[in-house]
Amino acid sequence: MTTLTVTGVHKSFGAEAVLRGVDLVVPPGSLTAILGPSGSGKTTLLRIAAGFERADAGTVAIGDEVVDDPDHYVPPDRRHLGYVPQEGSLFPHLTVEKNITFGLPRRQRRSAAVTELIEMVGLAGLGRRYPHQLSGGQQQRVALARALAIGPRLVLLDEPFSSLDAGLRASVRADVLAVLRAAGTTALLVTHDQDEALSAADLVAVIGEGRIRQLDTPERLYAAPEGPETARFVGDANLVVGRFAAGSVTTALGSLVLTEPPPAGAEGRPATVLVRPEQLELARVPAEGALPAEVVEFEYYGHDAVIRVRPEGALPVLVARTAGGDVWAPGTRIGISARGPVVAWARPDPPPADPGTGTTRT
Amino acid sequence: MTATATVAAPAPGATRRRPARPRLLFLLSAVVAVVLALPLAFLIIEAVQYANQSHGLETLRGLVLRNLTAELLWNTLVLTVAVTLGCAVIGTLAAWVVERTDLPARRVWAVLFVLPVAVPDFAVAFGWHSVFPAIGGFSGSVLIMTLAVYPLVYLPVAASLRNADPAQEEVARSLGTGPVATFWRVTVGEARLAILGGCLLVALVLLAEYGAFEILGYRTFTTEIFTEFNVGYNTPATCALSLVLVSLALVVVVGERFAQGRGRVSRVGPMAARPATRHRLGPATAPVLAGCALLVGLALGVPAAAVVHWLVLGGAAVWSWAVASAAFHTAAYSAGAGLLATAMALPVALLSVRHPGRAQMVLERSTYLVLATPGVVIALALTYFSERDLASFGYLTAWMLIFAYAVMFFPLALVAVRTSLAQAPVALEEVGRSLGRSRLEVLGRVTLPLVGPGLAAAFSLVFLEAVTELTATLVLVPNGSQTLTTGFWMAQTNAQYPEAAPYVAVMVAIAAVPSYVLGRWFDRLPQREPVAA
Repeated sequence: MTTLTVTGVHKSFGAEAVLRGVDLVVPPGSLTAILGPSGSGKTTLLRIAAGFERADAGTVAIGDEVVDDPDHYVPPDRRHLGYVPQEGSLFPHLTVEKNITFGLPRRQRRSAAVTELIEMVGLAGLGRRYPHQLSGGQQQRVALARALAIGPRLVLLDEPFSSLDAGLRASVRADVLAVLRAAGTTALLVTHDQDEALSAADLVAVIGEGRIRQLDTPERLYAAPEGPETARFVGDANLVVGRFAAGSVTTALGSLVLTEPPPAGAEGRPATVLVRPEQLELARVPAEGALPAEVVEFEYYGHDAVIRVRPEGALPVLVARTAGGDVWAPGTRIGISARGPVVAWARPDPPPADPGTGTTRT
Repeated sequence: MTATATVAAPAPGATRRRPARPRLLFLLSAVVAVVLALPLAFLIIEAVQYANQSHGLETLRGLVLRNLTAELLWNTLVLTVAVTLGCAVIGTLAAWVVERTDLPARRVWAVLFVLPVAVPDFAVAFGWHSVFPAIGGFSGSVLIMTLAVYPLVYLPVAASLRNADPAQEEVARSLGTGPVATFWRVTVGEARLAILGGCLLVALVLLAEYGAFEILGYRTFTTEIFTEFNVGYNTPATCALSLVLVSLALVVVVGERFAQGRGRVSRVGPMAARPATRHRLGPATAPVLAGCALLVGLALGVPAAAVVHWLVLGGAAVWSWAVASAAFHTAAYSAGAGLLATAMALPVALLSVRHPGRAQMVLERSTYLVLATPGVVIALALTYFSERDLASFGYLTAWMLIFAYAVMFFPLALVAVRTSLAQAPVALEEVGRSLGRSRLEVLGRVTLPLVGPGLAAAFSLVFLEAVTELTATLVLVPNGSQTLTTGFWMAQTNAQYPEAAPYVAVMVAIAAVPSYVLGRWFDRLPQREPVAA
């Protein structure tokens, strides 16, 4: 149970600045995900934490021990961290058992704890196999067991599920997370998959442009992202223009309650409003005050469905999500309205002459 | 992100820190590159020194521009083109028959087609010429060299066909392309890099070949250089001829690089997941089998029969103590060369695999210059340099021979070491470090076990080549000792064929061991790929 504290970390490769002042505190016992698109520096941050790279500036501390600052550097073998790389990187010349006991002193390599660990990751009886005789999911579990075997202060997972195919990913992820929680270790998971981050982590740190944009619980992150970019990154987002009113925001979709009171003096000022797809309500018989629209696309997933609708007027297409069952044929004329509460950000510039709505699907 | 395994000790200031190891690696690699360039440098220095003497330049120019040069150039070029074409056709067809048809006993043919690569060219020539003395001149040389070196095309083409995506041929057929057109446009098209690479090797072997052409009485640059050196010890003449020869080889190397750069084969998606469907030979089976048997019979059967014939004729008397002594020396020098070449290849390979970059690439490429320096040139350059500038230091010692071998066969070692390093990705070392193990322990428990087989392969490749090396050995063989090749050459030159045969037999026997090691290593490579990728 150890805290990882990253303060003001900078890192450049040549002229390219990858990290520009990262601050992050991973609380003890938590599973924290670092979420960011490829090239956002999330893996670099993990590698700095592991000690494979040095920060150009800033401090990294594990518990009370400073492991990287301009004057101190603790090499990876003395940081006592578990590291699970992307492809598992099992030692191809060693059996499962020898892979798992690699980091242990010679005396402990045959202990009962090792057998227990093999069982815990669901690999009982496979100890004598070689990595190439295992499936991708099994390899990842060995990689995790190997990292946990040394009793690490913190486990670092670098996109450990991205190389698995979609069908396997969910089940391996569930297994791995269950093991991590059972072990009670602090864990830092790097991922570019927002579903993975939201469903698996206690805390999610969104990284972008070399900084942590937001560190929050998955629910808060989804419901109240710090800005439009983050909103788009953690899920489908309809970004609608509006205008702040007292405790609410006025949009083409009606007057919507705000999750938080608007900033002081914002009343009457233009705003960008986030309406999640499931906050849109569709009605075949338009209710009073609903925005008339036409269904343009209907994607049916069984458990739910995604519907794209084009509101009347010059407004762009909006995305809605409904629970499965109903079929909305393209061309159907409907009415749409929105449910609050919503998040809105003040727009820096006054809106252009033709205020539209913007929508993005990630 | 750069793949750096190590991190430097804390450096003052918060500016970007460069890991310390690449600098050392870079330095070591640069030293290797310089060492490899030494023979060529000696040659040029020699030529320049001579040109600076009175009338030196005129003499040199006269030597280069004389009729003999034109004649040798013609001889060498015509032969190189004919044999290279022959090897391309035979090697590609043989590879296609083994890899893509339902030829009976394919595995046996696959082994038989490769075997001639373990038999030195001069031994093939010896086998044929000692039994059929009429074989010789241009046509004889084309026949024998084609039989001796076609595996250099067969091997890469077979590998390329084995790994090719069979769906491409199927797509071509579905697009209305006939079987012959598909073979030509898709199969050969995809294997063209392999064919080109094989042809480059063939051409370089031909330019550097001495023994076979001497036996067959065909004059090329290499035989002429040797004669000038041996008979007249004519330094300016050998220098002039060597410069022309190196230029020829350079043209081949550069030309191949150029062709390769333009013909990159791209692959979309993962490697072929299933083997190609084999073409049914049907009624063609019998003639194809006969063709395969003819090829193996000519390339392997005749030389083998000839050696056995002379061994039987010679009886027990030819198995002299000299053969054992030569075998010992050959093994010792070749092992030394294998060790030295592998050691030299390590830093260059490490640098190019672990720390890729422009400067590193230029450095690595520069070592391929050795490819264009025939053994005889390397040997003569070392000889002249040690005699004139080092007061004969090292001349006719084992060290100089081992050094010459290591330089000559460096490219082979580099290829094998590079491949083996790819088996040990940096990520594995990082995991080892994160598990609390020191850098040294990770080296011993992770890197070396993974890289070891590849290093053994590099050693074996160089060893194999050194055992059968004749040209440079004749120039540099240490005082008072014989190797298998020089022992053979002495007997052969004196037409003592029964006495020559045991040397060839022992040579092939010694070469069989590393061949086996190499075969095992290459067989194991693909199996590991998915894990180590």
